[in-house]
Amino acid sequence: MSEDLKLERKDQILAVKDLPTLPKVLDEVSRLVKDPDSSTEQMAKLIAMDQVLSAKVLKMVNSPIYGFPGRISSIHHALVLLGFNVLRGVIVSTSVMDIMNQNMVGLWEHSVGCALASSTIARHVGLKDVEDVSVAGLLHDLGKVVTAIQLPDLKTGVEAMVKARDMTYLDAEKALMGFGHDRVNAWIADHWKLPPSIKEGMSYHHKPQLARLYPEAACCVHLGDFMVRVFEYGSGGDDNVLYLEPDALKKLKLKPADLETILDQLSEQFLEIADLSFV
Amino acid sequence: MTPQDACRLPRTQKVYLLSANTELRDTLVGLWDHNHLEVIHFDRGRGAIEVLFNELPDLLIVDHDLPDMAGLDVVNLVKSENVYRQLPVILAIREETLLSKADWCGAEVDDLIIIPSTPARLKARIFLTITRASRAFDANPLSKLPGNTSIIQRIQEMIDRQEDFALAYADLDYFKSFNDKYGFSRGDEVLMMSARIIVNTIRGFTGVRSFVGHVGGDDFVFILPPDKVELACQRIVENFDSIVPHFYDEEDRAKGYIQSTDREGNMRTFPLMAISIAVVLNIGGRLKHYGEASQIAMTLKKKAKENPKSSYVLDQRLSS
Repeated sequence: MSEDLKLERKDQILAVKDLPTLPKVLDEVSRLVKDPDSSTEQMAKLIAMDQVLSAKVLKMVNSPIYGFPGRISSIHHALVLLGFNVLRGVIVSTSVMDIMNQNMVGLWEHSVGCALASSTIARHVGLKDVEDVSVAGLLHDLGKVVTAIQLPDLKTGVEAMVKARDMTYLDAEKALMGFGHDRVNAWIADHWKLPPSIKEGMSYHHKPQLARLYPEAACCVHLGDFMVRVFEYGSGGDDNVLYLEPDALKKLKLKPADLETILDQLSEQFLEIADLSFV
Repeated sequence: MTPQDACRLPRTQKVYLLSANTELRDTLVGLWDHNHLEVIHFDRGRGAIEVLFNELPDLLIVDHDLPDMAGLDVVNLVKSENVYRQLPVILAIREETLLSKADWCGAEVDDLIIIPSTPARLKARIFLTITRASRAFDANPLSKLPGNTSIIQRIQEMIDRQEDFALAYADLDYFKSFNDKYGFSRGDEVLMMSARIIVNTIRGFTGVRSFVGHVGGDDFVFILPPDKVELACQRIVENFDSIVPHFYDEEDRAKGYIQSTDREGNMRTFPLMAISIAVVLNIGGRLKHYGEASQIAMTLKKKAKENPKSSYVLDQRLSS
């Protein structure tokens, strides 16, 4: 693939304006915003369920307008700093499309599941910024959504290839576009000035051993992605269980017994969120 | 060339026009050449708001009658945020609407244009609004919060009306050592963050009269009803303490302290920044003058500062 074509596609992808969001989450957030007794914690919990709203809120709080670009990686902190007024603005202006649900069946569940799994792992290994990891887990496939919206033809091609040749989504993306959603994630994170911990978690979740600044975050998301696929919760666009990078386990100092403990914890939590339907 | 073109704007001004009125759009676009004024047009309010929040223009022109929402609602949404407050806004309105709706008290617009209008009038209005907005007003240049003049005025006003209120002075501990070690631009980030925390916490108390001002540097002021102030202090302390570590470098954050030079030039260790709040209560017209309030506050602040962690001290002398 020529560099020119890659650049052109990068530009097309970054031209993204309206990402889809889930209507039910939007209603619920609007209700909380109107209720004077609701807390930012309640709201943060809800927003953290939606990768599009999460991404928008983080993008806004890390924009130069507020004067501390790249510093805020937690949704709760973002809401404290943005305030309800701005949040209301984000919601008012978010056009409600359910492209994600129509076009990528199961990706929302996969993303929420990965956020849950990644943060459970992060907590288990004693990382300090569990919420960063959770956000990175939630956003780890955002590149797929953005590509689907901006370059719909390519997305159709990727899906056809996944089906016909039983490939992973990532390999099909690379075969057709010359880059995968992990690269798209890195572009989006730079473009939106997200903090480096989130960027690395998002963009190295397939190759955590290459992350330079926050390898632990990338390893947690990598393992989280793996686990949510093991549980077959939602869909990341293909049915494959990913290759588990042995270095990731080593880096996190996890033994097989630890994995069992984590999987047990997760199975309970998955049951809980399975009752929560936003669609 | 018309005489008006002789006075030039310092750089290309970006104008957002929110209007479904194509006539207005075409007139505006034709007014200046593209190097002076770049008009970006939106048919609807909703689509424009997000763009607006992410990329501020130099001027916003909003049609009173937008197809999807009230023009004044868009204006108020934008103007209620301190970071967007300095953005000048012109409301475009028809003569008939103007006559029927006379309630301008709550409208935070900077000017009006009556449509339809002549190009010359439009041009003069827009030019004046842009230049007026660039003149200084009493706001802290960093946080855009009201500065000293407004603060003193507000407090004296409340004292004169013998209104009960709680006046809180907040400042940061170890800000100077942070600034010295990381440089002033990172210091400014912390100040912006503190301003946002205070503003949003105070705004969270809906339906009461409140005020937030920025005295300068790391000194902030807020006013709330006496029965709300303690909860506000708790929330500010809690939010500040959980967010401020993210403004340090990873290794300093892990250590929990930084090394920097003190006032005498000696290398010393300093804890992570904390926020100290001193609250003066004016109940039953106790205070007569603004100066009294600030004096009491300074004494209380010393007490709050004795604690190296974030803390607040309430004026207890009421019981006496």
